[in-house]
Amino acid sequence: MIEGKLYDGMTAHPHDVRVSVADGKLELEQDGGWSDSVDAALLKRRDAPAGKLRLGRSDLAGWRLLVPAEAEAELAPLLGRPERYGRWIDRIGLVPALVAGGVITASVVGIGYLAPHWIAPHVPMSWERNVGTAIVGDFGELKCRDPKGQKALEDLVERVSPGATKGPDAIKVAALNVPIFNAAALPGGYIVVFKPAITETDADALAGVIAHEIGHVRRRHVTEALIREFGIGALIRLFAGGVGANAEQIVALSYTRDNETQADSDAIVALKRANISPKPTGELFERLSKDSGEAPGFSAEFLQSHPLSGKRAHRFEASVDPKAHYQPALSQPEWDALSEICRKTPEQK
Amino acid sequence: MNELASVDAAEELPSIQFTGTMREYLPIAATNLLLTIVTLFVYRSWAKARERQYLWSRTRFIDDELEWTGTGKEMFVGFIVVAVLLGLVWLTFNFGLPAIALRFGPLAGVGALLTFYIVGMFLYGLARFRGLRYRLSRTWWRGIRGGSNDPGWDYGRKAIGYYLAGFLLFGFLYPWAQAKLWNERWNKMSFGPLEFEAHMTSDDTKGPFFAFLAALIVGNVVIGLFTNPNVIVFGPGLPRLVVPILAYVAIGATYLNYIAAYYRAAAEWTRIGDIEFRLNAEFVDWLKFFLATIGLAIITLGLAFAVYEFRKWRFITSHMEAYGTVDVDRLTQSQTHAPREAEGFLDVLDVGAF
Repeated sequence: MIEGKLYDGMTAHPHDVRVSVADGKLELEQDGGWSDSVDAALLKRRDAPAGKLRLGRSDLAGWRLLVPAEAEAELAPLLGRPERYGRWIDRIGLVPALVAGGVITASVVGIGYLAPHWIAPHVPMSWERNVGTAIVGDFGELKCRDPKGQKALEDLVERVSPGATKGPDAIKVAALNVPIFNAAALPGGYIVVFKPAITETDADALAGVIAHEIGHVRRRHVTEALIREFGIGALIRLFAGGVGANAEQIVALSYTRDNETQADSDAIVALKRANISPKPTGELFERLSKDSGEAPGFSAEFLQSHPLSGKRAHRFEASVDPKAHYQPALSQPEWDALSEICRKTPEQK
Repeated sequence: MNELASVDAAEELPSIQFTGTMREYLPIAATNLLLTIVTLFVYRSWAKARERQYLWSRTRFIDDELEWTGTGKEMFVGFIVVAVLLGLVWLTFNFGLPAIALRFGPLAGVGALLTFYIVGMFLYGLARFRGLRYRLSRTWWRGIRGGSNDPGWDYGRKAIGYYLAGFLLFGFLYPWAQAKLWNERWNKMSFGPLEFEAHMTSDDTKGPFFAFLAALIVGNVVIGLFTNPNVIVFGPGLPRLVVPILAYVAIGATYLNYIAAYYRAAAEWTRIGDIEFRLNAEFVDWLKFFLATIGLAIITLGLAFAVYEFRKWRFITSHMEAYGTVDVDRLTQSQTHAPREAEGFLDVLDVGAF
């Protein structure tokens, strides 16, 4: 016989009851002669204070029976196992649930990481152009508009990637009058080169940088980075045409290490095909990676979007063919024209 | 004969007693944390249910422990519904507003933005009200639960006015608006047949609030002066470091003092039936709690957040007292509608319990 306290759910008045088990039912009785029996199917464990067992009924909302925890042994046949972590987890056990959950979570995160790489090539180029055009327009005041310089810049693109400036998926290259060393591929086949990337390099190194950016465009790394960084929102934006997209964020897109390596490989191949020496590009990368410690600000922006390492510089330098007769990327008059591309454009910020 | 459960100041045991221990709670917190991580936060709702089941079942009011009957499932459903709703709001904000501004001009855009904020205030107020109603409806004591028959639309409407008033006039009406809102929501709540009555005023909170406001303004000026390299009035050296830190401490301390005054007044001016409440947590108690929270977070590299709810509950319940008598025969079952939806907004916005 178990002594218990019963609340009937009608009032907060406690009733002292004696509790027993008979025929798969819970029998309750009181001194005055009152008795009741509750079917086991209706009984439900409720979370209980320390040292007690608290039972409820599925058909009476406030009905509660409190008995000492020691009654567990006697009442156990009527009651299910106590719920601990939640029904599903209790069924398979905590450790298997943790392992299963861990595997699922790792897969989801893995897919989330890899998905942009799989999806990007299937995003129509026209969507990406929508965004590119919406964001950059014609670059406004920033763009350096010297016609001879622009012609030389486009010639340089043609030199490393013949036919690249023509057709619906043409590369649109622009020099921007911004005093930061940077070059970037933007959505929609736009490639921008900031002024110091022209004035503080030479034609061959710039050819390498541009070939690298063309690699990002052609391999859809820009789309991939957009999806990676802005998720589903970027896909919607790609489709809708740039509402809410922020030009600064887009310029600051960062690529994965694999993407960078791939763009480097493309650039090395392109330089070889164009018969341009990869050495100046390697030297530029080396200089930039060393500069980062000494002169922050000069190359910080470029490094942010193109993490450089000595290793990457070496790859370019290692691809130098000592027997080759390299041709300069641009003729001297062309390079002179390109160097002057921003001459008439007032410098921004 | 009526049975009375009474609490007198003379009684030995405190009227509200928390018997939970960190030892019992740690396994709950640890498994909750692990399961929440490996389920990409899906388990969060079930974790909350477990956490509350434990905290409620270790909280004794007069002579019986509370019981939490909310389930992880209902909280998860509430969370999903609201997450979808907030997703739509986000889309409106990101795409709808620029579109309106582009099509109908900037004035229409500003109008749409204001509407958006006002709707936001309404939803926030509604969320607070419904969250409280939900919590009471899932809180049982001696087989009786709380609740409210008010759906909270009215509260949401009034909240817009009080929030606006609170921000206008440099926050001078803020303590008044906060007290009014406390009364507005608690006066609609009940436990069993008993209605809560709240008559909080800003009499006891406006002093501490204005002290905080003054500290905020003066502190910011001081910080601005001492951290501005162009101002050399105070010279370089130690004061440049120490004075701004002191200003931050002053702002934080006056804010904590306001919080202490607010909850003290809220408890004092809220009653149910014959029961009155006191929260005897003074500024120093809050300060200790706050410093311990920061200290623990630093020592455990942030892991202590897993036991924060426990510590908060223990802090409140150990400083809370109740006086009066409950006529348990008259404390009949609540006839309020038990809401099906859970905390939803409140959960997503992560607002505090009361």
